[in-house]
Amino acid sequence: NLMGVRLAGSHVDTQESKTNPLVSISDEPEILYKRLSLLVKGHDKAVLDSYEYFAVLAAKELGISVEKVHKPPKKIERLTLLKSVHIYKKHRVQYEMRTHYMCLELKYLTSSTAAVYLEYVQRNLPEGVAMEVKKTKIEKIPEHIQEPVWDTLPQVEETEVKS
Amino acid sequence: LPCRVPPLLMPPSPQTRAARVRVGKGDKPVTYEQAHAPHYIAHRKGWLSLHTGNLAEEPGAAERAVEDAFLRRFFYGTFPGVLADEVVLKRRANLLVVCLVLARGLPPAKLYFLVGYAETLLSHFYKCPVRLELQTVPGKVVYKYL
Repeated sequence: NLMGVRLAGSHVDTQESKTNPLVSISDEPEILYKRLSLLVKGHDKAVLDSYEYFAVLAAKELGISVEKVHKPPKKIERLTLLKSVHIYKKHRVQYEMRTHYMCLELKYLTSSTAAVYLEYVQRNLPEGVAMEVKKTKIEKIPEHIQEPVWDTLPQVEETEVKS
Repeated sequence: LPCRVPPLLMPPSPQTRAARVRVGKGDKPVTYEQAHAPHYIAHRKGWLSLHTGNLAEEPGAAERAVEDAFLRRFFYGTFPGVLADEVVLKRRANLLVVCLVLARGLPPAKLYFLVGYAETLLSHFYKCPVRLELQTVPGKVVYKYL
């Protein structure tokens, strides 16, 4: 039935309510993050540079303020192994594995913004690149610390003890 | 004053034979990948297998190495005589993307069957989605003759 096929993508039935099943609204207070720190590791510096451009652009588009983007120094892991399967101790082979880092720090996010940004940025992680995320939560000071202890103690009448 | 080069940056000795095609009479066609020695990786060459196992403080290097070795032998056998260059393996999260460059030796129907067979067999074997990305070339791309 070709009529059904042609109308499949068009918005003919606009009487149904337009609720997106992926968006949920809840009344719980959102968790606030003071800082979201993304540490990206890779073997290839060019890949990390292009990923940095992509992540910063995505943050700007979503309105997230970028605190700083810095590149910690690279780490080189070196191995010296025997070149031959059997004997020949004097002949060795040296390998090295270089890991370049790029740290992206974002300021003042809500948990839903952080979830959206992280999901987008992680789905587009290039192959051969790893990411570590650290979130710094902001919490209200618990009630028992809000006032200093010496203010809350019951007032003791001053009795002078004369020795 | 003599220039002090740190020992790891000096060129390898002429006696090393790892992953190098020796110069011959000029009749041996050699691809770009084969023509360059391993010390050119990250300078003139890229990586054939991209995964996070070899990064600092990341687990799974040995498992990925074994999987890579198996996959290269598997593809060398499934596409006999048709592989034009080395297999490139990319791992994105759970997904394994295999990029092949094939010569036009087989009819397309057989190619499609082999692609489907490889994808289903490997996904069942490794319990992860496997995607094959093919490219056909008229013949092996020769970089130079050694």
